[in-house]
This record gives sequence, C-alpha cells and structure tokens, in this order.
Amino acid sequence: MFRKVLVANRGEIAVRVIRACREMGIASVAVFSEADAAALHVRLADEAVPLGPPPAVESYLHMDKIVAAARATGAEAVHPGYGFLAENSAFARRCEKEGLVFIGPNSAALELVGDKVRARQTMEKAGVPTVPGMKSCSASAEEFRAAARALGYPVMVKASAGGGGKGMRIVTDDGGLAPALEAGRREAKSAFGDDSVYLEKYIEEPRHVEFQVLADNHGRTVHLFERECSIQRRHQKILEESPSPALDAKLRREMGETAVRAMRAAGYNNAGTVEFLLDKDGHFYFLEVNARLQVEHPVTELVTGVDLVRQQILIASGADLPFRQEDLAQRGHAIECRIYAEDPGANFLPSAGRIVLLREPTGPGVRFDSGVFEGFEVPVFYDPILAKLIVWAEDREAARRRMAAALQDCVILGIHTTAGFLGDVVGHPEFRAGRATTSFIGKHFASWGTGEGEDERKRLALAAAAFEALSPGAAPGGAAEPGRKKDTATPWTTLGHWRAGGEA
Amino acid sequence: MDDPGPLAGGGRSVSASAFDFLLDGEVRRISVEARDGALVVREGDRALETGVRRVSANELRLRLGDRSVRVFLARDGERTFVAVDGRQYVVSEPRVDAGRPGAGDDKAAGGSLRVKAPMPGKVTKLAISVGEEVRKNQTLVIVEAMKMENEIKTSIDGVVTKVHAAVGDLVDAEKILVEIEPKAA
Repeated sequence: MFRKVLVANRGEIAVRVIRACREMGIASVAVFSEADAAALHVRLADEAVPLGPPPAVESYLHMDKIVAAARATGAEAVHPGYGFLAENSAFARRCEKEGLVFIGPNSAALELVGDKVRARQTMEKAGVPTVPGMKSCSASAEEFRAAARALGYPVMVKASAGGGGKGMRIVTDDGGLAPALEAGRREAKSAFGDDSVYLEKYIEEPRHVEFQVLADNHGRTVHLFERECSIQRRHQKILEESPSPALDAKLRREMGETAVRAMRAAGYNNAGTVEFLLDKDGHFYFLEVNARLQVEHPVTELVTGVDLVRQQILIASGADLPFRQEDLAQRGHAIECRIYAEDPGANFLPSAGRIVLLREPTGPGVRFDSGVFEGFEVPVFYDPILAKLIVWAEDREAARRRMAAALQDCVILGIHTTAGFLGDVVGHPEFRAGRATTSFIGKHFASWGTGEGEDERKRLALAAAAFEALSPGAAPGGAAEPGRKKDTATPWTTLGHWRAGGEA
Repeated sequence: MDDPGPLAGGGRSVSASAFDFLLDGEVRRISVEARDGALVVREGDRALETGVRRVSANELRLRLGDRSVRVFLARDGERTFVAVDGRQYVVSEPRVDAGRPGAGDDKAAGGSLRVKAPMPGKVTKLAISVGEEVRKNQTLVIVEAMKMENEIKTSIDGVVTKVHAAVGDLVDAEKILVEIEPKAA
C-alpha cells in the first residue's frame, strides 16, 4: 500500500480523497493555487504545496508543477479527483513514465474512452448500442452541415474531450449550426484544451442513466448498479439518485451487463462510469465513459455500502477486487443534491464571493461532502460546486422527504446557491412520481423565484431585517460584532421569547 | 397568506419604528410595531403580523398563523443576507448599492445604455466594436466565470459608443462593459 498520495484537485472532492487517505493510514499531500491558499483541502491535508497563480492552466492543470510537487514530497501516487487532469491521458502517461501511480485507469484506456469518436467505434464493435452520430471530428463546415442534415435536426454539438456539459449545444436548424460549433469549440478549448467537436443525433426527453463500474488490474470487472441523473440544467447534473425509478430488474441486469462489456472492450481498470441515454420506450444507448471518480459517486456508496475512493486506492496499489458481481446488491434509496454557487433566480449565473454564514445539515442518513467553510471566499476561477448533500433512507419516498428536510437545514448566506431551488425540485409532483426526464428543469422551473409566495417571503425578509435592526443578533461569522451593545434590554430583545397564540 | 388588513386597536402597542430598506435593489418603506408578542409590519396599506422567536444569533423563527418559517440572517459589512424558505435576499440601507448581482443594466444620463457584467469573471470575447450598430438581444461580450461562458447581450437596438473591457480582462460584477446609444425611434 502507498505511504503517501498527492491529491491533484481542490474543493469537496479533494477533501473526500484526503479523508479516505487518512482512514487508510496514508499521508496526503494537497496542492493549491493562490486563490485557494486558505481552502479546506489545504487545511486538512498532511502537507500542502503551492502551485502558483489562480488560473487552472497555471495551477491545477499544470502537469510539470504537479509532478514536481509529488517528487518534492515523496508521494508515490496521484489521485486526480474529477475535472482538471482526471481524464487527461497525457497526464496519466506522464505519471506512468515518472514512476508515479495514477489512481485511475491506464493511459491507453483513458485515451480510448476520452476520444468520444474512437470510444463509439469501440462500443459499436463490442455490440454496445450507441446514439447515431458523426464518426469523425475533422470535418469542414459543409461536412458538418451535411452530417447534421443526414442525422436530422435537432442535433447536438459535443466536445470530443468533453464532459460536464461543457462545449455542448443543441442545434435545431442549419442557421444555428455555425454559431453552435463556434461556441462549442471555444468552450471545449477553454475547459479541456482541445477544441474538437462532433455532432450527434439529439434524443428528445431522454433519461440519463449511468452504471458505476470497478475493475481491478487483474481482469475482474463488476458494476455497482445505476445512478439516475436526469435532473439537469445546461446539460449538467444537479440531482442524482439510485436506484433509478425507470429501471426494472430485467432492464437493470441488461444495462449492467452491457456496462461491464463496454469497459472490458476498452481495456479499462479502476473506477469508471458508463453513461447511457434511456428513451421513452426503454431503449438505451451508450453515451460515453466517464473515466474518473464522479461527482455523484456517493449515491452508489450509500446503496451498495462500498467506499469507492478506498477501492480506487486499493485497486491502484494492485489489490484484487474483494467482491464478485453476485456479492453486490442495492439496498434502500439514495439521493444527492449538488450545492452550486449559482443564482437559480437569475438563470444560474455563477455567484462567487464570501460565505458569511454556513449551517451544514446533519442527522440520520444525511451526508454532507463539502469543500467550503464559513468565511471562505469562493473564487471565480473554478467549477461552482461548493458541496454535495446526500441522503439515504429505506425507500425513495422516505429519501425524498429526508432530502427536503436536509435542504432546509443547509444554509449558506453571502452568495447564491442552488439549495432552495433543489428543495422545490424534490417537492415537485413529477419528481415525486419518479417521472422526471432531462427536460424537467427547463419545463417546470424556467422562472424560479418569481412565482408563488415571493411577495410574502420578501415581506418576511423585511420583517426579519427590521427585527434584527432593533435587536441585533447576527454578526459576521456568527460572532458578536465589536462595538454592538448586545445586552441592552429593550422591548425588542425580550420580544423573541414571546409566543404568538398557541405555539407549542 | 392573507393580509390581516389594517389592524385597529385591541393590541398592546409597545413601540413603532419606521425603516427604509433596500431589498435586492428595490427601496421598501415599512413600519414595525410590537403587539401582543407579535411583530406587525406595515408597508403602504398592507400589514403582516408575525410571531418572532430568536433561535440563535443567526436564526429567527417566524410564525404566520399556524405556519412556522425559519429565517437565517448574517451581516457582511453594510449588507444583511436574509434567507426565507431557501431564498436569499440582500437587505441594506437605501444608500448602499447592494442589489442582487445581475440586477440589470441602467441608463446613463442622456439615455445611453450601460451594459454591465452580471458577475465577476474573465472577458473571453468581444463581439462588437465602437461604432457598430447592434440589434436587441445581440451578444456583445462573453464573460467566463466558474468555467461557464455567459453571453452578455444588449436589451435595445442602438450603436456601440464605448467599450470598457478587453479580452483577457478580469472584471467585477456590475462593471460597465459596453455603452450603447439607443437608435432614434
């Protein structure tokens, strides 16, 4: 087993990996940019190495600096988390060459599944159903137009190196194609350093169902069932659950076996996910392989009881998978909500700034994977994920109710977050019925925050602000504010103890 | 909830105070008095009565009829953040410019439109130049923040008179990016 692991990431996922290392008796090394000098992952790691300026290309994406940090600290392995270098086959190869263990798939498999076009070809050969699409990225404008017409609009522009919705655009006619290709290329270039894009048939109102796979270095491959990830905005997941309300035992078995076949065809090892689109008629199509630990991995951990990060580290160190397919089962129901620094009332605009108040939800079956703390300044440079709230309960409805309550306990002030929005999502009848598809948010939440109850909430906010002004209690960081006379007795300080008629 | 309507007599009035607040950039004038353990908040001819219990320095429990609403507050300088039912509002004194980021562009004296950055980020594309004629909803600038591209558009037809940003610039929220002279009707 490794004695020291470098975590080449930031935020909640770096914290997650550092905690796993600590439990396994492995020393952890954090790396950080100037914007993250005070970040949580830096506080928790045993050692921390500065990488330089905030932009990711000069810090978390800078291979030389990360390899040098591993060298300088004597780390034997690198965990890339998700995003940044996690699916960069050049980085995996570099680690292999430098004698560092990359905690992820081998570089050849990473390269294969990371090239969406080659991945599709491999899957087709292995008999895995795929979405109709272009076979190549190197097309001229005319060829793109011809391909779009042959596939039939609507089509989807996708980044070859993509993931997380970056570089994706839906195109409904010839006129929209050129600007969508341009925007897709620019976004892909900035997110992945590679501007290749291709076209795929856009399947309307599909569900997004993915299968978690673990493969050891000795040829044993198992799946850990599905995650339903249909609740998305801007093609990015914001809520995931397991099991999927859309699968029965037969379809689950069929998709799981297909996922294992897909990963074997790719020569894949370590943890990875096979994403499928599931249409209204129960047909499923291979979408892509996510060659990394995923943001939503905790829902799988809660229903299967398997610690995926621990397994990743064990597999990378050469261990055999400790279970066979028939040893694995789903138990109960898990839901994850992603708490993003975004304003759902303003089209999910990013919301950077200082967290002035943080209350973390807790209680039975509640897990909060967070990368932030009260007083932390959320930088503008990186992905807006702040934390993930994951709940487990015996069945879906109990989990849904637990999530609704936990979201109310999740309080982040100072920046906008998606917590309140997600509370409305889990309360929506379509979600409660398990019928939500990928068009759910666009259909039902187009103008959030302006509707029912807004007037009353605003007046309550004013009432609270007035009460606060008359009887100050709040202060930055929850501490008493210097210079405030907090103990001056006025009718307002005692008002708080009064009861309006009938309160228990 | 229904407004209790103007409340006349009956209660024990402790004191009344008037407040001018800026709520998400909008000026709101309210008066507040305590009556029988509840707060009566008036705004114009509307009134709202709520029981208030302070749970902690940052949390209040408001009571509306038989419903209980959790409210969280935190001060940051001049601004107070208030969360009601999972929605966050920014409350401040009217003189402080502390509206919701992206609250919108404003009109300068003389009627030209000042298009602002809705959030902090990096300018990755300037789609226009000075003197160019633009149509409503045309993309002017692309600002990237937290790895997402955000297209900043014009809300009017007009002519670009000034560009205050360059590709690669890091801009703050509310920074004026482009000024547009409206097209004469």
